[in-house]
Amino acid sequence: MRFFFNRGNGLGVGTVAALLIIWELYGRIHPTVYVPAFSTVFVTFIHEWFSPTFGQQAVPSLGRMIIGYTCASCIGIAIGIFIGTFKRLYQLLDPVLQFWRAIPATAIIPVGILLIGIGDPMKWVVIAFGSIWPILINTADGARLVPTERLDTARIFGLSPLETLVRVIVPSAAPMIAAGMRTGLSIAFIMIVVSEMIGSTDGLGYYILQAQRTFAIPEMYGGIALLAILGYLLNTLFVWCEHKVLAWHYGQTTRPA
Amino acid sequence: MANPSEVLLDVKGLQKRYADGTLAVQEITLNVRAREFVSIVGPSGCGKTTLLKTICALLAPTKGSVALHGTLITEPPPQMVLVFQDYARSLFPWLSVMGNVVFPLRKRKDISQEEKEQACSRAIAAVGLTKFAKHYPWQLSGGMQQRVAIARAVAFRPEILLLDEPFASVDALTRADLEDLTLHLRDEFGITMLLVTHDIDEAVYLSDRVFVLSTPPSTVLEEIAIPLKQPRDQVRTRSEPGFLELRNHIHGLIGKRQEEHARAFTIPDPVTPALELEGDPVG
Repeated sequence: MRFFFNRGNGLGVGTVAALLIIWELYGRIHPTVYVPAFSTVFVTFIHEWFSPTFGQQAVPSLGRMIIGYTCASCIGIAIGIFIGTFKRLYQLLDPVLQFWRAIPATAIIPVGILLIGIGDPMKWVVIAFGSIWPILINTADGARLVPTERLDTARIFGLSPLETLVRVIVPSAAPMIAAGMRTGLSIAFIMIVVSEMIGSTDGLGYYILQAQRTFAIPEMYGGIALLAILGYLLNTLFVWCEHKVLAWHYGQTTRPA
Repeated sequence: MANPSEVLLDVKGLQKRYADGTLAVQEITLNVRAREFVSIVGPSGCGKTTLLKTICALLAPTKGSVALHGTLITEPPPQMVLVFQDYARSLFPWLSVMGNVVFPLRKRKDISQEEKEQACSRAIAAVGLTKFAKHYPWQLSGGMQQRVAIARAVAFRPEILLLDEPFASVDALTRADLEDLTLHLRDEFGITMLLVTHDIDEAVYLSDRVFVLSTPPSTVLEEIAIPLKQPRDQVRTRSEPGFLELRNHIHGLIGKRQEEHARAFTIPDPVTPALELEGDPVG
């Protein structure tokens, strides 16, 4: 529990509570269809998401996101390490990569629908396309910026190129890879919602859009709230894992000078 | 074990020109005998790091050759280890001190696991870091980190240790400690030492022989034998009259060359027209 509310957050929790109270009062004093009171949304939230709806809508979304994100991570890290290690390759490919990463991933969705159709594979591809770029580029930078002394040390001690890659380059690049993966996670999260709004028959994005179209307004806000909670949990889980694996890095950077 | 007067490392006519044409090392010929402590001194920029890297076969020479036990070197040989000046960039921050020291031994199949651990413990003890074996390098001071780098090299059991200005990044008191440490390691482990430094006093204090390099592109100006008494001692040795003589001689060698070098690159003064001043000058 401490991990969720770190940074001495008595004040933070208090602020959240205060905002919720304001929302509630506004909803009571000035009720409109489009902005229901907090209590209404809260009740709908509990009703909707602690029910089979969670399994029908949220789980498919998370599943697609995980698949797309995992593909993006594997491919992005593999290519990134490859590019970062061979400097000529990096120079060659850099303009191409810069162009591709500039394409907003949402613009790829129509292409995905055309080439792959509406269905889960399209979503995997679109999510992967969006989240791969920060992972790939950060990995390439991490691999490129390994201090030459470390590479020389590996050569002096007779390490093979593969051993150097696995035992020296990858650990050296790990902090930058993790940073790229964290950004990629946020993008994957956005991409799943967008792709489900445009071409889907289920999922959280579909659910929220449907709620809007059928004027199920509290359900709509409930869906958004669930997204926020899931996003926060995913990010916290990622950071927790990262601090475990990269404990050495964080120990290094938080050490007093 | 090599006999004491055998030439271990033989560098002949070594030249290194970079791809962009700059001549870093013009012509270096030197040798190192087994269990000797040899220093290479020269002004900054004379290609000392390039020289060590070429001797170590990290870089390929443009001309000349490097031979270890009479065999030409083309790849970094296991009998030779190079310790870098910048310890922070050469140690692995994701490994503990013990992890760093055992790292080069991991893949060696000719030594048993027990022997590896023993070699590492011995090396860590020799540099005085037994209490810090589980620490991470970045938790240690600069001098201690350099000791880890040295322990890592020593645990690998090389025959010759190349040291690239290893004490340049540490404070003066730590430097004296580390200097004595290298002497001690040479005595305890029988490792031959080739040290590159810009510090003339250090070179004279530590070595059996000193090679003095010229300004870039470098050649060997002189080879000087250091007959000072062993074992060396920071206070006694440095007050011996021989010490002063030797260091002043080297200073003179390098200083003269530096002056000549500087003169060759002096920008001539711009020509200013004479000014006619009106009235009497003040004061």
